[in-house]
Amino acid sequence: MIEFRNISKVYKMGEVEFVALKGVFITVRQGEFLSIMGPSGSGKSTLMNIIGCLDTPTEGFYYLEGENVAGLTFDQLSTIRNRKVGFVFQNFNLLPYATAYENIELPMLFNGKKAGARRQRVSELLEMVGLSPWARHRPTEMSGGQQQRVAIARALAMDPPIILADEPTGNLDSKSGHEIMEIFSRLWKGGRTILMVTHDPAIAAFSQSTIRLLDGAVQQDGAAT
Amino acid sequence: MIPAFFRNLFRDLVRQPLRTFLTLSGVTWGTFAVILLLAFGTGIGKQQMKQFRGMGQGIILVFPGQTTMTYNGLPKGRRIQVTPDELELVKKRVPGIRTLSPEFISSRNIRYGREQLLNTVRGVDVPFERIRNTIPAQGRFINETDVRQHRRNCFLGATIAKSLFKGMKPVGQQVMIEGVPFTVIGVMIEKDQNSNYNGMRDTHCAFIPWTTYMTLYGEKYVQNFIVQPGDPALSKQTIAALRNYFGGRLGFNPLDKDALFVWDFSDFERQFNLFFTAFNIFLGVIGSFTLLVGGVGVASIMLVVVEERIREIGIKLAVGAKRRAIMWQFFAEANCIILIGGAIGFLLAALLLTLLPAEQLEEYIGIPRLNPLVGIVTVLILLAIGTLSGLTPARRAAATDPIVALRK
Ligand SMILES: Nc1ncnc2c1ncn2[C@@H]1O[C@H](COP(=O)(O)OP(=O)(O)O)[C@@H](O)[C@H]1O
Ligand SMILES: [Mg+2]
Repeated sequence: MIEFRNISKVYKMGEVEFVALKGVFITVRQGEFLSIMGPSGSGKSTLMNIIGCLDTPTEGFYYLEGENVAGLTFDQLSTIRNRKVGFVFQNFNLLPYATAYENIELPMLFNGKKAGARRQRVSELLEMVGLSPWARHRPTEMSGGQQQRVAIARALAMDPPIILADEPTGNLDSKSGHEIMEIFSRLWKGGRTILMVTHDPAIAAFSQSTIRLLDGAVQQDGAAT
Repeated sequence: MIPAFFRNLFRDLVRQPLRTFLTLSGVTWGTFAVILLLAFGTGIGKQQMKQFRGMGQGIILVFPGQTTMTYNGLPKGRRIQVTPDELELVKKRVPGIRTLSPEFISSRNIRYGREQLLNTVRGVDVPFERIRNTIPAQGRFINETDVRQHRRNCFLGATIAKSLFKGMKPVGQQVMIEGVPFTVIGVMIEKDQNSNYNGMRDTHCAFIPWTTYMTLYGEKYVQNFIVQPGDPALSKQTIAALRNYFGGRLGFNPLDKDALFVWDFSDFERQFNLFFTAFNIFLGVIGSFTLLVGGVGVASIMLVVVEERIREIGIKLAVGAKRRAIMWQFFAEANCIILIGGAIGFLLAALLLTLLPAEQLEEYIGIPRLNPLVGIVTVLILLAIGTLSGLTPARRAAATDPIVALRK
């Protein structure tokens, strides 16, 4: 489903070049729940951004459901972000002035879904993450755990097969973190492919397997936990 | 999405009231200026045209003069003289003439009771009324019978009627012109007229049948004659035909401009229209520059807004917005600001134009009105400015790199 062949990412800052990923090979099969660990600055977010088509590799090949992503235009990548991957960020990245409802609806506004279908989907998702009474509230009125649940609902809006979560519990207390992980477990059991970055072995324990990054390179692959 | 759009717009406007005020006032002032300039421009143009048409529309004035070229052995400097009989032939023989009237003119003593004036008396034919718009306010103009029977009837300009009769009803009264009694058959309406010939505006003249004029004052040749061409657009051809005809009849070179001095009003009107169109475009351009300054203000504000909302842009791109969607959002917002400022300017200008004491100014500058043309032109200019000032910020917003935006 996701295949990285010799992916490298080099950031140029003026004269200085920084190699964030060095020749990474990864294969993620459909329905897998993979966690990615590694020290800060090891390239985990860079890896996730490339998988989520927010960023493009400097070198190597990335196949998403068999399609080479390298040749796609920005708008085609937008479509992939819209339909194939749902992103969950450490800092939630919700629109601060929009309600929970509007935040969840957002991805559906960019592909012409009818208003009725949108309404139905948003209430379904609010129900699923247990936030139905919070539909009209803004992120600032919610706890971190609730905000992250809104973000998960938003990631699921277009029913994407892949969920990418970059330290989704990093800003949460352990109780909220566990609630989030229960949602991910359910999603995984429902057949979705999940990739999750985390520092916390207790969180990584929810996944099937873990890969470790160090200085932009994969250290060991497929160690079952 | 639409309500969200207006909420964003409102938030951007409310966030920094002073900034919003300065931006909107730039656009408001620009719109205000464009509308006033155009309204006054068209008002002045219309008023000038109206006064100018007081002379009659699309007419040709012909003054017989002197030759300045030799012709078939005839010397230069000969006087060209035209009789009314000749003009009767012209009517039939020269193509493109709808109608014409001879004109005899001289200064005469006019008296009613104790009031005595020295004023212009003009001997004219029946069509004069239609050609020159000498419309009666009371009574009637000179008719065929007056002309045929050399009647001593006269038609008075409004000013002369006022001076003689002081508010009494003139029609039916007798006035003495050079000691000869004339019956007043009508008084002309007051009309605006900004040009004249032979010294006096119509309002200061007394009109009598040309036949009466000839017998009483022993005049044989007309002072001038007025032609109404069938088609004012073809006035040049009509004039050439007249010069040819008279050249042959009276013996002068048709190219000798001074033998017949011609004043072509339809040509004048064309140039006049051209001039005022150019004048209005000029005013519109000046106003547009003022508005452009407002537009630059909007553009720079929108660039700041894009910067302020860079995270929002990043989030939208991350969940699948295409570049176009982001672009439209900011483009539309810039245009909305322009339209709000424009609408306020529009209302202020309309208010000022309504409150203006227009009647007192009308004679000089006409009535400046917010006519549809001014409205349409202003809206078009606003849209152009909106497009110009929205494009750069919208492009900037659409070019956002989502990774960079989300890191902020
Ligand atoms: N846009 C960028 N420009 C320059 N350097 C970057 C950029 N993004 C990431 N980096 C660098 O690449 C390295 C890896 O970053 P990241 O993938 O965010 O690490 P992690 O998520 O594992 O902490 C870091 O040292 C970071 O400073
Ligand atoms: Mg990171």
